[in-house]
Amino acid sequence: MIKLKDITKSYYIKDVEYPILKGIDLEVKSGEFVALMGPSGSGKSTLLNIIGALDKPTKGQYWINEQAVATLDSGKLAEIRNTYIGFIFQNFQLIPTLSTFENVLLPSFYAGQEQRDKAKELLTRVGMADRLENKPNELSGGQRQRVAIARALINNPELILADEPTGNLDSKNGAEIMQLILSLQKKDKKTILMVTHDPQIAKLANRIVHLKDGVVVKAIKNDK
Amino acid sequence: MTSNFYLQLFRLSWKALRANAFRSFLTTLGIVIGASTIVIVVGLGEGAKRDIEAQYSNMSVTTIIINGPSTETAPSKLSPDDIPALTTIPTVKDVVPMLSGKVNVTTSESTGSWTVVGTYPNFADVAKLTYVKGGFYGQTEEDEHTKIAILGATVAEELFGKRDPDVIGETITLGKKDFAIGGIIDYRGGSFGPISIDESIFTPYSAGYRYVLGKNGKFSFNVNASDISVLEPTMNALAVALRGTHNLGPGAVDDFRLRDMGATVASAQSSSQTMAILLASVGLIVLIVGGIGIMNIMYVTVSERTREIGIRKAIGAKDEYIMWQFLNEAFILTSVGYLAGIVVALAIHWLLIGMGVKIVFVPWSLILSLVVTFAIGIFFGYAPARKAASLDPIEALRYE
Repeated sequence: MIKLKDITKSYYIKDVEYPILKGIDLEVKSGEFVALMGPSGSGKSTLLNIIGALDKPTKGQYWINEQAVATLDSGKLAEIRNTYIGFIFQNFQLIPTLSTFENVLLPSFYAGQEQRDKAKELLTRVGMADRLENKPNELSGGQRQRVAIARALINNPELILADEPTGNLDSKNGAEIMQLILSLQKKDKKTILMVTHDPQIAKLANRIVHLKDGVVVKAIKNDK
Repeated sequence: MTSNFYLQLFRLSWKALRANAFRSFLTTLGIVIGASTIVIVVGLGEGAKRDIEAQYSNMSVTTIIINGPSTETAPSKLSPDDIPALTTIPTVKDVVPMLSGKVNVTTSESTGSWTVVGTYPNFADVAKLTYVKGGFYGQTEEDEHTKIAILGATVAEELFGKRDPDVIGETITLGKKDFAIGGIIDYRGGSFGPISIDESIFTPYSAGYRYVLGKNGKFSFNVNASDISVLEPTMNALAVALRGTHNLGPGAVDDFRLRDMGATVASAQSSSQTMAILLASVGLIVLIVGGIGIMNIMYVTVSERTREIGIRKAIGAKDEYIMWQFLNEAFILTSVGYLAGIVVALAIHWLLIGMGVKIVFVPWSLILSLVVTFAIGIFFGYAPARKAASLDPIEALRYE
């Protein structure tokens, strides 16, 4: 599904190089659930952004389904984000002026065809069918994340990228959201890459990849 | 991108503007004022132009007015005695003497103060008069000092309380003498040299001088040159002839003044044009300020909605979609501003007309206002839209 080869990312401030990622090699198979762990500043969010086609590597190669992504222009990257990838963020990232239903609809709008029936179906699946017209600020954190998950699924992407999706939720809501995310792997056969600090949550993944100072320090295969 | 896409885009933009309705309203205000100013200015310009045209409609560009100098140092010697000397100038087509003054006028119905004009019968031909009743007097009446009065349309209406009264032969008292009404002139509008035909009463020069005005009347000549091209030499020849008949030696100051109406009309038109250009630039400046207002608010909007832009990009909006969205918001603000501006402009037209201000609605001013307003709205909306489109999605998502 995705393959990274020697991915390097550096920031330059006044010509001084600050390396964030120092040559990452990573392969994620279709249908696999991989957890990314590591201390703050280890580069896991930067890695997730590069995989999510939001950011470009300074050096290195990256393929999604054999398609080389690292060299694409911003228009093509937008298409990849739109069709191949569904994002789930720690702070939900819903548009405050739009209703639940409109937020879920938006990626399909940018794809060229609004999927209204599918949006309703997805909102029903995440238990938000009775909140179609509510604005995000009228919802609890757990409810917002459910809407965000429905939005991530609207264009039926193969890859789900989640950046600490339970980080802003209490344990009860966090557990429910994790159940939903796990169902995406089991029921929908999605490939999932998730950044997390929580070892309990990381244990739910097929594999845990540890990052430190921009390199992969260890990878653990979970037996489930 | 299908038409449905634009429809949805429009809906999104409209929503965003509605979310900040009051601010959107304030932003639009500059456009409203600018768009309406252009329409009103064009209307006022056209009104002034038509007013000038109407005022001088009875005047030919070949007309030369001769009257006494404005500084009354010595009484002017202008009189019908000058006529033979003036008519011998080959480029002079006609000479009409006019003696005018305000006089108390009494009829069987009412009294009032009106201008009485003593003039030669050729006035009727030169002014191309037409009549609702009766006609003008002839040379016989002039020679015999006949007490006959021809009424202007407004005079007749005011004195007898209705339009075109049937009063031929009735008596009208000018000052202290009774005159017989000989005719009523059609409504004309405008002025003829120093007088307004509609608001004057005409009598033979001889009768007017002898019975009504005497030395108190203001004397002037209305002279027409045979062609506009000979206006300059004709004026010189008139001056020479008048200096001769008035026995002015070398070095003596003219006791008359020559004014060519062509120049007066032209200068009035050009001053009204200058005024229109001035007002139009005010409209343009208002619009530019309004445009800067749009730009300002769009920049604020873009930075306020940085995170929203980041979200849209993360879920797959291309740069140009983001740009379209913000351009579209500028477009909607401009459209609403323009439409409201037109309504305001029409309302002000209506008000001004009610107040008697000379303003004429000119349809093409709507197009002019449209073109200028949208050019400015889109021009100033472009930079913020460009900025929104070029935001880095990661930075934008982190923006608080």
